[in-house]
Amino acid sequence: MQRIVIPGEKLEDKPLRIEGAIVDNGKTYSTVMGSYDQDKKALIPLEGLWYPMPGDTVVGRIAEDKFTVYIVDLSAPYRGLIFSKDSNEEFVAGDLVEATVKELDKTQTAILGRPRKLTGGKLVYVKPSKIPRILGRGNNMIKQLTMKTHTDVTVGMNGIIWLRGGRLDLVSEALNMIQEEAHTSGLTNRVMSLLELGA
Amino acid sequence: MITMASSQEKPQLIVDGKRLDGRDAGDLRPISIQTNVVKNAVGSAYIEWGNNKIIAAVYGPKEALPKHTANPERAVIKCRYAMSPFSSLEDHGRTGPNRRATEISKVTREVFENVVMLEKFPGSEIDIYVEVLQADGGTRAAGVTAAAVAMATSGIPMTDLPFGVSIGKIGETIVVDLNKIEDNYSDADVPMVISPRQDKILLLQMDGNMTKDNIKEAIDLAKKAGETISKLQSDALRAPYLEVMEKYKGEKSSYDEKQAD
Repeated sequence: MQRIVIPGEKLEDKPLRIEGAIVDNGKTYSTVMGSYDQDKKALIPLEGLWYPMPGDTVVGRIAEDKFTVYIVDLSAPYRGLIFSKDSNEEFVAGDLVEATVKELDKTQTAILGRPRKLTGGKLVYVKPSKIPRILGRGNNMIKQLTMKTHTDVTVGMNGIIWLRGGRLDLVSEALNMIQEEAHTSGLTNRVMSLLELGA
Repeated sequence: MITMASSQEKPQLIVDGKRLDGRDAGDLRPISIQTNVVKNAVGSAYIEWGNNKIIAAVYGPKEALPKHTANPERAVIKCRYAMSPFSSLEDHGRTGPNRRATEISKVTREVFENVVMLEKFPGSEIDIYVEVLQADGGTRAAGVTAAAVAMATSGIPMTDLPFGVSIGKIGETIVVDLNKIEDNYSDADVPMVISPRQDKILLLQMDGNMTKDNIKEAIDLAKKAGETISKLQSDALRAPYLEVMEKYKGEKSSYDEKQAD
């Protein structure tokens, strides 16, 4: 049974270690807007920010070119950093880039590796908290989206999605739908019927 | 412009046990809250509290600028409370921050420094904007109430959802939620912000005189009024989600719907 919780709402009467929750005075409280599953003891944030983890794919824009490093704007509290020696390509400020987070340092910086320049296409901004839903279990949702619309989709965990070719309008519409209805069940089916209607 | 009468010619604020707008001593004005009203903000809220109309917006966390304001251990909060030039009968909101706006910005900032989990975002800043469009007394309390909802919609983790309310003293009666006229002519005006879960007072200012017993009664009244306000905040936050959930209620999926996180 899932319920919507707000910051400061009591989740459990006993102290439990739950992501996005705090323990105070022997009880567990939520710190975010979320959907709490009482049986699985899992709190899924409905609104949230992206905390970079090594291995995350991100999409960003080159903000500065400093000869040995590129600084990447990830539209997050973290900056991205690409060392020129890690890159086969040369970038200029304003280029779109896809990369993977290699490591984090203490100064709000994510060091990125495996950069790839993205040319053309379109960007869609979504809430970072909805990314797991957009990917779906085992990337099921995004695979279906790509297959049915023949669009190149690169999902950045930081909430930026890059699209190219195929049915841009249809994919954008589907992404919007996923974002708005992320906390409901039966979503995959509805997205599939949207794609079939549009195709 | 209406000139304010001197405090000698005090209007009668309580007639036959009812206040000027027909409320009892413990009644709040009607409150409605809406979320996500500013598209560019990370989180935002709009509150109508009696005749008060206030927009609150939250931006960030982002890189703290200028650099010297950054704290390498925690995020810093920057708050701007402002009244629009057209918001009130007096000349509030002339260009630039004034003494009053600076003070309210400071106390609002300190409220949120106590509930936002700043240690999660070292070196960054979180901006809170509270913009008063129409003022009728108690704007700092209403502003904090709205900003708390805005902060919750932004997804920035908070340990609690604070609310604000002002308590006043008219003659010997302690009353809840003063409006503009009552604020001007009351014997005391005590705006309060309370963190209901932790049962802590995060803001308490006093204009006028109250006895120790008065203050105790005021705090009790504020907590009681807070139950209503907290309920409204929570309803406003849940409403958009429950609406969508209601629409697709009972629909089951052939896929396992668990999120892959």
